[in-house]
Amino acid sequence: MRRGVGLAAFDLQEQSKRSFAQLSSELSKAQVQNLHSQLDHFRTALAHFASTHRESIRNDPSFRYAFQQMCSSIGVDPLAGPKKGGWWAELLGLSDWQYELGVQIVDVCVSTRERNGGLIQISELVRLVSRLRGMADGGITEEDVIRSIKTLQPLGAGYQVVEIDGVKMVRSVVKALDEDQTVILGTAREQGGRVIEDDLILQNAWTRERARAALENMLLRDGMCWLDAQDEQTGRAYWVPSAMQWEI
Amino acid sequence: MALSTHTTPSGFLLPSIHSAPPFFTEQPNPTTQSTATEQWIRLILTYARHKKLFNLRVEDAEIAESDWEEILRNERINRRILPNHLSNIIATMVSKNLAAYEPPKQARSVLVFWRLPEEWAEVLYDWVRLYQLVSCFHWPLNTILTFYDITDPPSGSPLGNIPVPLLRRAIVILGKTGRSQTIAITDGEGVRFLPRAK
Repeated sequence: MRRGVGLAAFDLQEQSKRSFAQLSSELSKAQVQNLHSQLDHFRTALAHFASTHRESIRNDPSFRYAFQQMCSSIGVDPLAGPKKGGWWAELLGLSDWQYELGVQIVDVCVSTRERNGGLIQISELVRLVSRLRGMADGGITEEDVIRSIKTLQPLGAGYQVVEIDGVKMVRSVVKALDEDQTVILGTAREQGGRVIEDDLILQNAWTRERARAALENMLLRDGMCWLDAQDEQTGRAYWVPSAMQWEI
Repeated sequence: MALSTHTTPSGFLLPSIHSAPPFFTEQPNPTTQSTATEQWIRLILTYARHKKLFNLRVEDAEIAESDWEEILRNERINRRILPNHLSNIIATMVSKNLAAYEPPKQARSVLVFWRLPEEWAEVLYDWVRLYQLVSCFHWPLNTILTFYDITDPPSGSPLGNIPVPLLRRAIVILGKTGRSQTIAITDGEGVRFLPRAK
């Protein structure tokens, strides 16, 4: 475009700027529209999938796991959405299911709290919840439990999944596990629940005072372990119920 | 080591907590201790019912071959309950009316209520009425029965071996609802059972 001089040239320049702007907004409008229709298409497809496989999603744990994996890999949270419980809730009835599971998790955590101090291994929790639901096994998975615990978070009850030595545990008391306690829980699991001062001193190069203080805190302050004063080796062993193998 | 249930030679199923070593130690944490005591009390009562035991003494923790040995010791893990611990459990049982010191005014031995005295009263009353119905030759209505008639009748009784102090409690409870009368007889006391007030 030849760069003119004078007033007429100025007008021409303004006009072409306007038409460029118009063109660009039309273009992006088309793009957005296209995107919207794609999203609609995708949503319908997903909804169709969810409703055709509704029964499998609710009843088959491995299918449900795969579905949840798929949702999370494409960035869709089955429980999120504009409505309470998410738009999946209506489609699948999945949120009722999650809430119901949440209630059962709370039930188990509260009823075992006095013997494990509010810390339970997730596999044990799954086992007890399954028993509560009247299913031998396979009814629910660890993944389901973790999801349900996330749905409990807004209640502020302090339920949390913590990982100790690669083993997932659920904590139902608002109590920070300090580093030493984490180490003790790790030792306890290796020993079938039993911990003595000497093990901690040998394995972690702790002083006796540190080992004793950490164990006594867990025993007296937190109620996270039981005392055995008849231990053959030391006469004072600590037992962590959440690390013991119970065959009830 | 997995903690599992165990069936004793007398056929009693021990709960898995009985194979946990710390179960035999008194717990310094009060919350933990109250959980453990509850478990002990449940164990004592179910075992007493299983073996029809009525008397528990603190010494049972020390004596070999006590009636309670199967629960007060666990040879498989080499643990036993200590007398002091048992004594505290007994005190809790008394405070919850699940046992009563017998004789009174000491704390070394108790009557264990695997049936409450109120329940024994009903068992006694039902049994006597039934017995009177089916064998009026032995005990026509209004017969005065001695304690011995009740604890040791010719054809057995669900109250066999019941200690007299417990029997007495049951009779007192029936007396309060007008269903029994205690009467002095030549060699001690007798009881007359009355029809249920309509």
